[in-house]
Amino acid sequence: MLSRLVLRAAPAVLKGLQGLPPPVSAGILHVARPLHTGQHRLAPVPPLPEKGGEVRHGLIPEEFFQFLYPKTGVTGPYMLGTGLLLYLLSKEIYVINHETVAAACILTVIIYAVKKYGADVAAFADKLNEEKIAKALEVKNEAIKALETAIEEEKKEQWRIEGRSYLFDAKRNNIAMLLEANYRERLLTVYNEVKKRLDYQVALQNLKRQKEQDHMVQWVEKSVIQSITPQQKESIAKCILDLKALSKSAQVAV
Amino acid sequence: MNLSFFDQFSSPCLLGIPLILPSLLLPALLLPSPGNRWINNRLSTIQLWFTHLITKQLMTPLNKAGHKWALLLTSLILMLLSINLLGLLPYTFTPTTQLSMNMALALPLWLATLLTGLRNQPSASLGHLLPEGTPTPLIPALIMIETTSLLIRPLALGVRLTANLTAGHLLIQLISTA
Repeated sequence: MLSRLVLRAAPAVLKGLQGLPPPVSAGILHVARPLHTGQHRLAPVPPLPEKGGEVRHGLIPEEFFQFLYPKTGVTGPYMLGTGLLLYLLSKEIYVINHETVAAACILTVIIYAVKKYGADVAAFADKLNEEKIAKALEVKNEAIKALETAIEEEKKEQWRIEGRSYLFDAKRNNIAMLLEANYRERLLTVYNEVKKRLDYQVALQNLKRQKEQDHMVQWVEKSVIQSITPQQKESIAKCILDLKALSKSAQVAV
Repeated sequence: MNLSFFDQFSSPCLLGIPLILPSLLLPALLLPSPGNRWINNRLSTIQLWFTHLITKQLMTPLNKAGHKWALLLTSLILMLLSINLLGLLPYTFTPTTQLSMNMALALPLWLATLLTGLRNQPSASLGHLLPEGTPTPLIPALIMIETTSLLIRPLALGVRLTANLTAGHLLIQLISTA
């Protein structure tokens, strides 16, 4: 892991050192500090590679095998490993003691655990990251949805405004009707008032004529009664008696 | 080279150079600092999740003033975890088997908590010397006992860690030889 970091960093460092002017690049070994040339580039951070570095047998990076391949072929690194191990054992540079047994047991347990639970742990780590991303996406999607509903509402309001003219027409009609009704009411009042006054005049005239008529009748009666002489009065009384007798006989006849 | 049971507990020394400092600092290589990213690789994610879990457990019961201890306590627990777990592997040296190191951890931390408590709330911290609900005749004796237990505490803490780890390692060795 660390060897890969060094290998990756080396070309960048060398390139940086070669960018210096010739007098300085001659004494490159003395330059220990990187010169700050160019802009500070902190963002965007370069993305993580999709897969980790290739390892064989879970421990040894693939680059080691590629490094030995041109000289020793496919079995080279394995021969190296076996030879090294046998050399250490036979020369007793590595002594087999109780710690070897402990190492063997621990190694077995570790390998078993990794083989059995490795995928689950990786899935757990991926799930943690997925949840983090999902939370942020959720915020973004919620914001987008809220804005979309706001747009819909706005469009609806704009459509409602188109019906504004109908509303105003109805209101106008309403007001016109009110005015008309008011005007007619007042017309009626005026008519009634005028009629009352005219009726008064008519009644006055009628009354006057009635009074005149009554007065005239009274005067006529009075003058007639005054003009009756006493002997006419006798004959009238006799006529009335005759009429009463006649009426009685008429009633019997009916 | 024949190993006796106690060779693993001697402070390592290579060509006359004491290796205690690398053995304390190298476990930190297994905890890469997460760097400037929002989404990290799997190892960093799991380590961050674990650290977060520990800190939450430690800090949830405390009020805001207690959160000042978060960095110290979390880093302490991560260091002890990594050092002790790595010591289980063969041919490794566990610094925490040395009484000197454990006393160096226990004494300053204990003293710090004691002095902070005495400084900020003197009567409350002195009041801890008497448990609640003790019957009156027992009070003098109990105060003496509590004071003794308070003063013994750093020794107890240091020796506890040393003894536990030493016993564990010895047990592994005994089982693998027998």
